[in-house]
Amino acid sequence: MQTISPQVVFLLFGLPVRNTVIATWAAMGLIFCSVFLINHFKPYLLEDLVNFISNMIAGIMNLKHVEHYLPVLGTLVIFIAVANSIGTLPIFSSPTSDLNSTVALALVVFFSVHYYGIRSKGFKKYLKEFASPIFLLPLEIISQFSRTISLSLRLFGNILSGELIAAIVFSLIPLFMPLPLMGLSLLIGLLQAYVFMALSSLYIASAIEVSDL
Amino acid sequence: MNNLEPQYLVTIVTILVTGIGIILGTALPAIVEGRAVSKALDSISRQPESANEIRTTLLISLALLESTAIYVLLVMLILLFANPLLDRFF
Repeated sequence: MQTISPQVVFLLFGLPVRNTVIATWAAMGLIFCSVFLINHFKPYLLEDLVNFISNMIAGIMNLKHVEHYLPVLGTLVIFIAVANSIGTLPIFSSPTSDLNSTVALALVVFFSVHYYGIRSKGFKKYLKEFASPIFLLPLEIISQFSRTISLSLRLFGNILSGELIAAIVFSLIPLFMPLPLMGLSLLIGLLQAYVFMALSSLYIASAIEVSDL
Repeated sequence: MNNLEPQYLVTIVTILVTGIGIILGTALPAIVEGRAVSKALDSISRQPESANEIRTTLLISLALLESTAIYVLLVMLILLFANPLLDRFF
């Protein structure tokens, strides 16, 4: 049963380890093992997947060459898709149903937006574009924070509410009723992974704003 | 109303507020999303070759509109099942 703050399982060197951290390790192990096995047997499937994600990002950002941004965005979409889906397995609860994980992912997006903006434009020009009409500067600062908060809360709220509703219905009608709800939360998990990646690529595209396409 | 203990008052007000909040928080985003989908379908029927771009924009916009409904659901779930206000009165 997942509550708002997840349960501590054991202590590692004096730090509490929660059950979502163990599910994160399981998701990482699942991604590693499946990539290793697919690479051994059918390597063209991995190339198809990378091309598919690369075309998706190029379509959203309206750029032709997205190799600089493909590692961050591709990792986000694959990890969030696996992490949202691993909550349907019996002993795991999704890593993204913990507010700490989603805030960490949103902070990765926040810092990478500024990193790519400064790298493509230079420090002074990037800061000057923030304050170009000077009365819009507070609005820009507030919008940066609200983007990060809304990214993390959207993912957290979707996944946690799916888990809580499945747990509540499970305590009412055990066998058949949670199944459509779990299917719906799988679908919502994949959609939220796509939306997270699409919104982060939109933020990065608005920060770089290169004129040659 | 004056001689109700604080826990009972908090529980009754919480139930009323969650009832009204869930109704408003799911009906209003649903109305607005229906309007967005109808405009998207009109534009797909007018220009079938841009269906992929319209579908991408539609999905992202629906997820953004849905997120406010999710915020309301999250607050209601916290109020119902892990109410922090019940322990404030001692």
